[in-house]
Amino acid sequence: MTIGLNEFLVVSGLLFTIGFVGLLIRRNTLVLFMCLEIMLNGVNVALVAFSQFNGTMDGNLLVFFIITVAAAEVAVGLAILVALFRKRQTVYVQELNALKN
Amino acid sequence: MTVAFYIMAAIAVLGAVMAIALRNVVHAVFSVLLFFSALAGLFILLLAEFIAVVQVLVYIGSVGILMLFAIMLTTKVTGDPTRKLLSRGWAWGGLVSGALLLAFLVPLITQSKSESNSQLSNFNPSVKDLGLTLMDPYFASVGVIALLLTAGLIAAVVAASSASGE
Repeated sequence: MTIGLNEFLVVSGLLFTIGFVGLLIRRNTLVLFMCLEIMLNGVNVALVAFSQFNGTMDGNLLVFFIITVAAAEVAVGLAILVALFRKRQTVYVQELNALKN
Repeated sequence: MTVAFYIMAAIAVLGAVMAIALRNVVHAVFSVLLFFSALAGLFILLLAEFIAVVQVLVYIGSVGILMLFAIMLTTKVTGDPTRKLLSRGWAWGGLVSGALLLAFLVPLITQSKSESNSQLSNFNPSVKDLGLTLMDPYFASVGVIALLLTAGLIAAVVAASSASGE
């Protein structure tokens, strides 16, 4: 049995869903960042697979842009996280409720 | 190819599951690194070598290290054992994501495979092709991305230093 587009898409969907589950159920902000990265990487698998199986270059370039945006997002997000920890002494989302009430 | 694909896919899924299931945050980061390297292997299987290299360079090389530094600067690594691992209403989250998974997988499994998407095309882009495409139709996007990276760099410095300046 040869590996086709569908197998890659199944892996991509699985990874996206695992990241989504983690994003919804975990409390630690660092783990939420990791879940975001897992979701973005799952999408990257789908994009590269589409690009290769269709013979076009666009998916590969879109993956570049996604990787760049993800790197910028992680840098800013972790900086905010460190600043928040200095101010509030917590990384748990249910205690980061300054905008509540 | 088939065996390598299944091994890589299994490692990737396992790493992702361990990342969201482990209580120790450092162990979670290391399993995320495992996940990233398995994805680099999948990209090589898809003949996208340059993206695999970028994946190793950016994700394993910098994002993982950045996360380890963030852990070092913030929380206790082993996690607080008195805290609950899962947030309130986690069952609803599991339900929603199960529905999402079904929405992804059902069309993929039920549809019949056409001949065109069952084999890799002879398409094998070189890094030169990639760079030329990046310069010709995507030049404006490259500019926007460069601006975004600069803004991200400045924002990260400002956000990380504002709290300590007080």
